[in-house]
Amino acid sequence: MPAIVTAERLSKTFRVKVRDPGLKGALAALVRPRYRDVHAVRDVTFRIEPGEIVAFLGPNGAGKTTTLKMLTGLLYPTTGRVEVAGFVPWTGGRDFKRRIALVLGNRQQLVWDLPPEETFLLNRAIYDIAGAAYTERLAELVDLLDLRDVLEKPVRQLSLGERMKCELAAALLHHPPLLFLDEPTLGLDVTAQEAIRGFLSQYRERHGATVLLTSHYMQDVTALASRVLIINRGHLLYDGALDALVARIARIKRIELVLGPGDGVTAEMLAGFGTVKSFHFPNAVLEVRRDEAAATSARLLAALPVADLSIEDPPIEDVIRQAFAQGLGEDP
Amino acid sequence: MTGTVDWLRRYGALLRAAWLQDLQYRASIVLWLLWGVTEPAVALGIWWAIAADGPVQGYARADFARYFFALMLVNQLTIAWDSWYLDSWIRDGELNFRLARPIHPAHEAVAENIAYKARTAGMILVVWLIVAAVWPAVRLPFGADRWALTAAAVLLAAALRFFISFATGLLAFWTTRATAIMELHAGISLFLSGRLAPLALLPPAVARVAGFLWFPYMLAFPVDLLTGTVHGAALVQGFVGQVVWLAVWVGAYRLAWTRGLRKYGGVGG
Repeated sequence: MPAIVTAERLSKTFRVKVRDPGLKGALAALVRPRYRDVHAVRDVTFRIEPGEIVAFLGPNGAGKTTTLKMLTGLLYPTTGRVEVAGFVPWTGGRDFKRRIALVLGNRQQLVWDLPPEETFLLNRAIYDIAGAAYTERLAELVDLLDLRDVLEKPVRQLSLGERMKCELAAALLHHPPLLFLDEPTLGLDVTAQEAIRGFLSQYRERHGATVLLTSHYMQDVTALASRVLIINRGHLLYDGALDALVARIARIKRIELVLGPGDGVTAEMLAGFGTVKSFHFPNAVLEVRRDEAAATSARLLAALPVADLSIEDPPIEDVIRQAFAQGLGEDP
Repeated sequence: MTGTVDWLRRYGALLRAAWLQDLQYRASIVLWLLWGVTEPAVALGIWWAIAADGPVQGYARADFARYFFALMLVNQLTIAWDSWYLDSWIRDGELNFRLARPIHPAHEAVAENIAYKARTAGMILVVWLIVAAVWPAVRLPFGADRWALTAAAVLLAAALRFFISFATGLLAFWTTRATAIMELHAGISLFLSGRLAPLALLPPAVARVAGFLWFPYMLAFPVDLLTGTVHGAALVQGFVGQVVWLAVWVGAYRLAWTRGLRKYGGVGG
């Protein structure tokens, strides 16, 4: 099957005016403006197959949103080639726009003063959705997103979470095969975040849509995406499965121990098995080399009074932080 | 044919949303109406006082009354606020989702214009009819052909003012002062489009300058048509002026839109 998104050696450079502080700087900028090139995205290449859920991961200003905007045709790449759903986004026109949905976490399309249903009706006309299809799709979205109680309230009276749900409903009424979600859970509380994630995975299961989302919440990624693109300072650092990334970066495993009754176990004794991260009797956390985790666990069980033992990957946030700090240039 | 039906449905939905939003703020409707009435009423008051001792360059008190009532209506039918909307769309990033939809953002602006004009002009028409019932001076000369010509001139003026406002608003792609430029334009048009006085009363040199610009075609020409003070060659010249300046501003809008989007998207940047 051909890829639904192809980005080849994509780069975006913004030219920004630089100005020294103060009046003198302002005057100098007026007389002789100086410019600086900001490389928001550099030489990024990837392909996305239909039906995938892919997460763009990276700190603020990494280039995630810039990439998303190039894929949706809002920005024009400085160099490189993009093809999305068979179109070059910038020149795709109406036919292209009918095939995508763009949801921006910090900018909404819902009409502020009116109930969300009015925005839905507007989109029904804008996207030429037939009456029967509209009724059916709205019923499904209302059901999946649990929107019954909010349909008739003005948007300005809705909570942030309710608004994001309505935002998603408005964006999906035309059943786009391709969804671009920029920080869809930004600023939401944990319950609302989970509701959005639950909806997205259910929706994708039912309709097989391809989803590209940016986020800096790790839970979004672990819950939704099978594949992550890690981007930092415009560079694509990693493209692949999340667990493979953990295996690659995290050379260690954590062994969490609960020691049995009796005393005599000391930190020095534990240090013989691995690096002691914490020890508050009866709990202890050790870090050991990944490939030795199983053997070390067996030795621990044999040598010490262990009531409980579990082997964990380090928290994914730590892994990603490590990736940003060290890069991924070297092989494991 | 299905294309036309689709567009009617789209405009129906856009108008519905615009009207429903208007209805949310009933107090502001009254305020806008007062604003629309106050300026011509003040101007009329001044000219009414000046014309106490007899006509001013052919304009008697009743002529001024008729002129400013017509102006009130035509101004509300042709006014455009789009530069303010566009400025905030562009600077606050609200243009993004509008660009991602399969409809040109200008259609939303046109629908808002229609909604606003129908609402405010409708109210002014009612006010006028009530006043005309007791005050014969503000009644209009009637004639189907003149009404038809006036309607055409009002439509052209509305289109002209829309494209001026839209094109100027697009300057927000380049400058943060787009609305200031529009304010300046509004200030000049106060004198040159006939909002303060009929153009016939301007100093001849100023009137001549105005004649070379688009200002008279925004307002004064349709107002003069409505009050029945323009005939013959001047009538033809008025329509030619409207069409020519409309074409110029449509061109300016198209240039600003394509260049602006390229700037926004950073083409070659």
